[in-house]
Amino acid sequence: MAAPGPGLRIIGRSELVTQPTRDRAAADLGFPISFEMIDSIDGLARVVTRPDTFDLYHQWHTVDLIWTARCIQPIDLTRLDHGPEILAAARGRSGPSRIIDTVFDKLFVQADGRLGSSPTHHLSMLPLLHGVDSFGYLPGLRDLVGSEAESWGWLLDARLQGRVAMINDPVLGMIEAALAVEATRGKAFSSIGNLTLDEVDEVADILLHKKRIGHFKGMWSSFEDSARLAQRGTLIQSIFSPGVARLRSLGQEVIVGTPAEGSRGWHADLCISSEASGEVLDMAYAYLNWWQNGWAGASAARQGYYATFPARVRQHLLPGEWEYWYEGQPASQALADPYGQTNIPAGHRREGGSHAERMSSARVWNTFMDEHTHIVHRWRAFLAA
Amino acid sequence: MTSRRKGLAGLHKAYFDIVQDWVKGSIAAGLLPVGTRLTVASVADRLELSRSPVKRGLELLTMAGHLTRDERSGYVVGNGTQAAPHAANLFAMPLPDLAPATGVLARAGWERILDEVAEATAASIPFGIYTISETAIGAHFGVSRTVTREVLSRLQERGAIGKDRASHWIAGPLSARMLDDEHALRLLLEPAALAATALKVRTLLPAMQARLAKAAPNCAPEDIDLIEADLHDICTEDQPNRRMAAVLMHLRSGRRVNRLFATHVVQHDESALLTEHRLVLDHLALGNAEGAAAALRHHLDADHARTRERLKVLSVFEDPIVAPYLTRVG
Repeated sequence: MAAPGPGLRIIGRSELVTQPTRDRAAADLGFPISFEMIDSIDGLARVVTRPDTFDLYHQWHTVDLIWTARCIQPIDLTRLDHGPEILAAARGRSGPSRIIDTVFDKLFVQADGRLGSSPTHHLSMLPLLHGVDSFGYLPGLRDLVGSEAESWGWLLDARLQGRVAMINDPVLGMIEAALAVEATRGKAFSSIGNLTLDEVDEVADILLHKKRIGHFKGMWSSFEDSARLAQRGTLIQSIFSPGVARLRSLGQEVIVGTPAEGSRGWHADLCISSEASGEVLDMAYAYLNWWQNGWAGASAARQGYYATFPARVRQHLLPGEWEYWYEGQPASQALADPYGQTNIPAGHRREGGSHAERMSSARVWNTFMDEHTHIVHRWRAFLAA
Repeated sequence: MTSRRKGLAGLHKAYFDIVQDWVKGSIAAGLLPVGTRLTVASVADRLELSRSPVKRGLELLTMAGHLTRDERSGYVVGNGTQAAPHAANLFAMPLPDLAPATGVLARAGWERILDEVAEATAASIPFGIYTISETAIGAHFGVSRTVTREVLSRLQERGAIGKDRASHWIAGPLSARMLDDEHALRLLLEPAALAATALKVRTLLPAMQARLAKAAPNCAPEDIDLIEADLHDICTEDQPNRRMAAVLMHLRSGRRVNRLFATHVVQHDESALLTEHRLVLDHLALGNAEGAAAALRHHLDADHARTRERLKVLSVFEDPIVAPYLTRVG
């Protein structure tokens, strides 16, 4: 059974469930919540094998995996305040939901127990946030590459030797490295979100060689690390928008790339442990509904994340915030990050444009590839080199 | 370790030799009269051995002149010139039982170790890459380096393990592509194997169907083992094409992945597998070999899709428990 005592146990990532969000949830919901932040895929084995140790899981590109293991239970649409809205969006695939099609691909539990896009009354997850990531670079990079167009190929560019950093997560890192290899070699992979064994080897061989000749300044595992790397002379790196927000809060100018090759899309969602029941399950649904009411999505917007249903987020944002983050307009005033630190100066315009423009640049979505074991093996060798 | 050493001390005989000794001894003691008809099935049942070593043993005895190949079926004690062949119930005759110790262990030392190391290695590689220590195998089984090397060389011949650049023995990881490759082979061979044996297995079906009927979707891994063996081993075992049977025996990665998944993951739901198995057995019960083969094809495809998904789950495990002579390196 679930929690031995009262309260809700939630696993999340620190940049997805920020401290202000955790504090606010605890205050609004009025029951004890214990948050456990796990910023790597290392905790995944526990999620898969010990669903009795958590009640809610803020999942991130693992839904097919955790559903296969049945460590999560179907979410009853009728218990969600905005269930009909999800159904309508899935049926229509119109408006904002059109640009995040991928979110709906494995959303509904089908009659045979598998996940699919045909709407039913049971969800694998409650979609919360989404976005696109690319790389961030400092203005000094232009001294070395001139005015050429932004490209993932820069991550492997010999002119930037010793000034490049990458994320150390094998799932995301392999996707970004593959985008870089494609750009460098001018040859597309057949499915960049699901590389074959040979393609993984091709990318890994290039990474390994680059590492050995000192191409990389460092690897990062959290957005704080990535901000520190930028402060220590890294000119370009894969970056999350909270990392960008952090750097800007620290007064460091950073430009987010809008590469011609497209961006890496992601969505983050909430899943209920297969073991949650009774009172704990009631609390779990209360937390789901709390996320849906818009406050948390608005807080996340201030670090560049988009909510599945932007309309409800809008009422929690200043008009200037909405225009900047969702509409891609120049900031009408200085804007603050989720922690209250001013980080966007008036007049700044977000790279990549509006919500729709940015999301439509998603070339590939975060996913565990079929050859994950092989990827991890090659990636570990790369990290250790 | 001591008990293993003790166990290994008397292990110099292969099963087919044990069969030969037993038959020769029984003939010499007058327990198997000239003219007694022996079949592979009846001897295998009597000795509780599988059929292939029995067959080999009987063939060797035939070549040595102790038995004669019977034109109708099986073998006849004697050189075929004496009495008319007669069928016999071997259980009704006062024949000696095999000593218990000769059951599982009565094989050449390296042969049994080979099977165990092969299985332990194959059951580890879904999690990642492992090095295999010669010294640790020697210590674990209480055998010499020569035996260990023999075992590992044979595994290398099978393609189950290899050597890295530093000349360490290495295995894994099991990739999705390897599962795909095995699946493609099984899809070609197994339905054909089943079609060839379909009419022979009908008497075995009621017990298999009863097992399926009793199984719950979340039944114990051990129950699934039996159900899987029913369809994938026993139903195709009595195979005229021995080479096909031998190839099929090595195409078991998918099954291992499913077994590991069921062992490590609490909430496994096998209802789809049970339904698919029922469909195959139902066709067999009706004597519809083609239908059974088609249903098996469907099952193999569906199971392959599940296996690929499950392999991904296994790939996130950090420290699965494996044999002591394996060390994870990736």
